[in-house]
Amino acid sequence: MEDGNKTMAENGNTHAKISCKNVSKTFIQKGTQQVHVLDGISLDVAENEFVVILGPGQCGKSTLLRIMAGLETASTGSVIINDKEVDGPGQDRGLVFQSYMLFAWKTVMGNVEMGPKLRGVGKEERRKVAQHYIDMVGLQGFENKYPHQLSGGMKQRAGIARAYANQPQVMLLDEPFGQLDAQTRIYMEQETVRIWEQEKRTVIFVTNNIDEALFLGDRIICMEGKLPGRIREVYDVNLPRPRKFTDLDFLKLRHEITEASELTL
Amino acid sequence: MTSIANETQSAKKERAPITVKAVLTNKWFLYAVSLTFFFGLWDYVAYKKILGSSLARPLEVVNYMGYMINHRLAGNSLWGHAWASTRRILIGFSIASLIAVPLGLMMALNKYVNAIVKPIFDLMKPMPPIAWISISILWFGIGEPSKVFIIIIGTFVPCLLNAYNGVRLVEPELYDVVRVLGGNRRDEIFQVCFPAAFPAIFAGLQISLSVAWTCVLAAELVSARSGLGYVIIKGMNLGRPAMVLGGMVAIALAALMTSQLVGLLEKVLCPWKREIEGL
Ligand SMILES: Nc1ncnc2c1ncn2[C@@H]1O[C@H](COP(=O)(O)OP(=O)(O)OP(=O)(O)O)[C@@H](O)[C@H]1O
Ligand SMILES: [Mg+2]
Repeated sequence: MEDGNKTMAENGNTHAKISCKNVSKTFIQKGTQQVHVLDGISLDVAENEFVVILGPGQCGKSTLLRIMAGLETASTGSVIINDKEVDGPGQDRGLVFQSYMLFAWKTVMGNVEMGPKLRGVGKEERRKVAQHYIDMVGLQGFENKYPHQLSGGMKQRAGIARAYANQPQVMLLDEPFGQLDAQTRIYMEQETVRIWEQEKRTVIFVTNNIDEALFLGDRIICMEGKLPGRIREVYDVNLPRPRKFTDLDFLKLRHEITEASELTL
Repeated sequence: MTSIANETQSAKKERAPITVKAVLTNKWFLYAVSLTFFFGLWDYVAYKKILGSSLARPLEVVNYMGYMINHRLAGNSLWGHAWASTRRILIGFSIASLIAVPLGLMMALNKYVNAIVKPIFDLMKPMPPIAWISISILWFGIGEPSKVFIIIIGTFVPCLLNAYNGVRLVEPELYDVVRVLGGNRRDEIFQVCFPAAFPAIFAGLQISLSVAWTCVLAAELVSARSGLGYVIIKGMNLGRPAMVLGGMVAIALAALMTSQLVGLLEKVLCPWKREIEGL
């Protein structure tokens, strides 16, 4: 089955449409207290589309992504990926974590090859796959370094390579560059576009940064600024790539989105 | 783009010119000053008999240690006594850690194991291990078993607690990483839980070792014909400060060695920690 998935992904003719149908989530805290985090999220993502979910802090973005990843279950509604309802994590989806979450006791290679290793892929083959993605994110030469020896940007590259090495059809990224300085961040955004163009995947990218959203997304899903999280507005970004932060059209759309949200993003 | 590791390496390679300030702030120079001061003060106080005549001079202590190496005391040279204590520690410490660490891990992973073991453990925990000496002599006599028993009692608690807390403090999102990558519960335990708890387990082992030395000395002070605890109590009874202090130095050295041994084991088993420690 794994081999089947791999060849499908490599041929680029996967059918990885994501469809959230009226997803709501209520957490129950300490037995009684209810926190209503998501409300009626409906969203369709086309294959190989780059969708950005844009919203301020604490509006349920991570929760939505975790539901798609299968780490949480929706209280109502459902998420359908590849015509199959999500009922747990699966190899068809890769998740990049906000705070890197690398295994401190593994080298870069050990981290990146973890997915194939857990699926029982032989050592030689998984090393080959891992090396491919290590090269892709530009970490060649650092295979044998441990996470604490890497800078923040490099850690997140390793996190991205680790998710890709599992060859998922859908990539979910949760504010991956939130902890980076501005320069590194812009550089990583350019890299993200390059990687996405090189390894076409359906991508859902969560951010609270409007420039990042405009630079990356085919479409921007703008969330409400308060709980429960709702979709406020959806913007199509029909700007040619590579995009520039100073393009007039870029700035126009930026202005439009900023005006529409009462919060300055 | 250079990694942090590369930066520190290149910084090391550059040689600073030797200036007075560089010498005065040099780590090794300061170590030497500190030690010279300590031994100088000790020697002065002992020589002038400021604290009475029961303080031996540093060289007397060293000489007496040489004497004990060449002359048997109760059938053992200093090496023999050091080995007697160390052997007790290694046996007790090994038995305790081989039981306590897995038990602590299991308690953290399984709430039923936790519910069964925890009440007994909580009952025993506040009891200082030394309090067990008398009863253990009644149970096991004055031979080796009673001393090993005390060590097991003393080291069990820190071994178990650290293993337990090590697992409890693992960042829960790391389990999510394994799940998203396609791992099952078993992978979560073996790929995340155990390796993440390793440093805490080793911290527990180090604490256990120092507890073990306290225990073995206490047991030897009460009743023994061998061991470093026996040496110092004998030195006290004979009124020989150099013998007592020589025994104390031997204890410190032996304890240092066992701790280095566990440190070495940690370095072998946790290669990822090797480069963190710059001390
Ligand atoms: N497991 C949980 N139990 C209870 N409440 C939770 C849980 N997970 C999230 N929440 C609550 O849901 C709300 C939204 O959290 P979420 O992490 O999804 O927001 P976010 O938009 O990702 O925020 P940020 O931008 O800070 O990452 C928070 O107020 C949080 O307290
Ligand atoms: Mg979040």
